[in-house]
Amino acid sequence: MSTEAHASHGHGTAAVANEWDGGTFPYRVGHRKLGMWLFIVSDAMTFSALLVGYSYARAASDQWPTPFPFYPSIIFSTTMTLFLLASSFTMVMAVKASAENRLRAARRWIFATMLGGLTFLVLHLIEWEHLIHDGLRPFRLADQMAKDWPQAPPLFGASFFSITGLHMFHVLTGVLYLGWIALRISKTRHEDVEISGLYWHFVDLVWMFVFPLIYLMSVKY
Amino acid sequence: MALGSVRDVFRKSDAFLLGVCVLLAGGFLFLAAKNAADAGNFFTIDSLFFTTVCLLLAVTFIAVPALTMRERGINPFAVPDGVPAARAHEEVHFEGSTKLFLNILGALLVLTVVEVVLAYIEVPLTLMLIILIGLSLIKAALIMAYFMHLRFERMSLVLTLVPALVICICLLFIVFPDSFRTRQQRATPTRAVQAEPGAEASH
Repeated sequence: MSTEAHASHGHGTAAVANEWDGGTFPYRVGHRKLGMWLFIVSDAMTFSALLVGYSYARAASDQWPTPFPFYPSIIFSTTMTLFLLASSFTMVMAVKASAENRLRAARRWIFATMLGGLTFLVLHLIEWEHLIHDGLRPFRLADQMAKDWPQAPPLFGASFFSITGLHMFHVLTGVLYLGWIALRISKTRHEDVEISGLYWHFVDLVWMFVFPLIYLMSVKY
Repeated sequence: MALGSVRDVFRKSDAFLLGVCVLLAGGFLFLAAKNAADAGNFFTIDSLFFTTVCLLLAVTFIAVPALTMRERGINPFAVPDGVPAARAHEEVHFEGSTKLFLNILGALLVLTVVEVVLAYIEVPLTLMLIILIGLSLIKAALIMAYFMHLRFERMSLVLTLVPALVICICLLFIVFPDSFRTRQQRATPTRAVQAEPGAEASH
């Protein structure tokens, strides 16, 4: 039970028998990374609450608007999903490059990730524009929707805009965060690049659930 | 190679003026983008002219700081060779090869396509939800394990984070029977009232 492990960056020396004996990082991660993980868990709960709220409203309704035709909605949202997944991959490549101290490559991979995120945002905003142009508002259905689905509650707008809007906000924040890391790559620790990667993968993770529940469940149901 | 800081080489007034130029360049870019977004038909002479002018001005304003910095040999975004001071004492562990991550990406893309195709097949609602959520959980697990690196971290971290999240999400499901009750009750309100023979005349 050695208590002489490094006080600085290093994860405990081999002499530390137990990671809970002090002198090293619990879980063998730094406090920043643990902080980001805890934030991710809490944010995941926020999104879960929103998605369950949407599911509740939908399950309790006789009718629910499904204004997502194959073109443009499903095509756009599938493309957005593929771009986001690809951007997650480029982020992993960025972290890998950072681990190997190839900083210029790491920066280029981060720029590629940001590009994926921006493409996602632009496509999603175009989607929003279609719906808003048709007349959809948070607590009022578009006229055509009210005709096609007369028993549908006006909550469709609120649930769609809040869930996708919060997610888009996360994507935007992520892009700005990644931009900051990319521009300052030579002054950051590798840990910082890893942590920004964790945030970006979380954004992708949330979309993995938002996309089926909002878009794919609207095709045949 | 002069890798200086902006602060070393410029007077405050110079730095301020360069900052203003950057802001103006950004502003003109924003104007060009806003015009492209708001214009009903982008391909008119007016709109193209406006966009071109904005872009030209943006380029002009960004050229001032860019050329000045180049002249004074500063590149604040340069990446030095070798290991920078911030990383000198870091212990870095990164497992996983490019091939592994490409395979995971491939699996994620395939699962996405499967989900989209499934949406267009007539499947009973409950089954559809189960398959869709199931596939999404698999995708989430792949992302968390490999992209977020949990597979290569201590199990104690995974056990601290994941079960708590799963339990909270399962607790949220408590509300669903109420949603079914709401829907059913909405379908049968009048029968309950008419069943009572001595119902009040106010109805």
